[in-house]
Amino acid sequence: MESTDIGRSDLARIQTGIPGLDDMIEGGFPFPSVILVSGTAGTGKTTFALKFLAEGAARGEQGLYFTTLSEPTQWMLRFSSQFEFMRPEFFENEIVYEDLGNHLRGGDSAALLEAIEKRIAEVMPQRIVIDPITVVGEMFKDGYRQFLFDLTNRLKNWNATTLVTGEVLPGELYPPEISYAVDGIVLLHLAEELGARRKYLEVLKMRGTNHVTGKHSIDISRKEGLIVLKARF
Amino acid sequence: MNEKDLLLFDRLKDVLGDPPRTGPVVMDVKTTQFVRVELVLLRLLTEEGRNGIFISVDRPHQYMVHLLNMHQIDHGNLTFVDAVARFSSDCKQAEARVGFLQGPRNIDTLPEALREWSSRSNSSGFDMSKCSFAIVDNLNTLLNFNSHQVVQTFLDDFIKTFEGKVTIPMVIDKERNLNLFQMASSNGRPHLDLSTESVPRIFNRPRLQIIEPNVCGGIR
Repeated sequence: MESTDIGRSDLARIQTGIPGLDDMIEGGFPFPSVILVSGTAGTGKTTFALKFLAEGAARGEQGLYFTTLSEPTQWMLRFSSQFEFMRPEFFENEIVYEDLGNHLRGGDSAALLEAIEKRIAEVMPQRIVIDPITVVGEMFKDGYRQFLFDLTNRLKNWNATTLVTGEVLPGELYPPEISYAVDGIVLLHLAEELGARRKYLEVLKMRGTNHVTGKHSIDISRKEGLIVLKARF
Repeated sequence: MNEKDLLLFDRLKDVLGDPPRTGPVVMDVKTTQFVRVELVLLRLLTEEGRNGIFISVDRPHQYMVHLLNMHQIDHGNLTFVDAVARFSSDCKQAEARVGFLQGPRNIDTLPEALREWSSRSNSSGFDMSKCSFAIVDNLNTLLNFNSHQVVQTFLDDFIKTFEGKVTIPMVIDKERNLNLFQMASSNGRPHLDLSTESVPRIFNRPRLQIIEPNVCGGIR
């Protein structure tokens, strides 16, 4: 039988946990996919990532948080516990925290990839965070592009939505090395206006999604973390 | 496997029986839980060295092999049919008994291909007569490459091919794809609701334990 009329199954989506964002991207991030959240220091990348994991945890989904900063767990907990959405119990159960610092210092990108995959296979997460991915580029200058290609290719096959954060310098939009390999790019902007620094969110790319464009004001609160405000820029 | 997975394992064992009942069983599972449920299913179905076939549509078979290895689930008696590796640029390595398809289109011709593969006298890959279970990972993804009609023809023929002698769990997200669920559970095929598998557990407070300094994770 000739199969010309395919069934066109809709993309599965998972809620981002960021109030206002799901409405901009047809209900949530595609599942599975790899999404880059990019911004300069202080724009809310880690807050975004924590809320994404906490949203999953509240829904009974397993999360896995890879840090490349060699930050001790208790230090991470100290800051994240300031947010009302982050329950301490999550970090014993639904959110597994993994430090990649030792593997990064080892300088072997293949070993780093293997360590990431090993942990993913053990934990079987539906949500993964790598925060920030740009540190890997600074450690592995040679072969970084190949590493990113292999990493994103494999992450897409692990049946999880992965959020990677990328830190950029003022004036830059996103780390160019990874932008071609990800399924979505969310930009977090910081702009000085009338003597105050204001924050904005912009969905630059979201494959398979009719997403809203343009910059949208955001706020960061203890209660909900990062929120997309209704008024448009 | 964690506590949640063990509970699921016990539940599936209870429902499917020991040894598992033969014939198709439709399972309503949230999309995000497909891999987890399939892994638990494989642990149950491969018990006591039972043979089976796993048709990989959603990702190259190496990923499931890697998961099985990581979770110490013996896949020595499992045959993979990989429908996506041929057009994936993935170079992930894994050792398993596997046959490759050109792609996941025209899936209604797969049952005939399986019968033909099994009948080859020199085939070292797959013996249908020894098969105890058959899993497709997953039916929903087939719809990206085939029409509903083709998937329905495939399902009916696939089930008929095994003549009611093997367990055929069909993992489908009912909420996301009601048509597919209804198609799979037609003809009075039994179904099982596992859609609450992603519901958050009730937090219980673990008791503290003293860990000796020389044990990994202890005080250093």
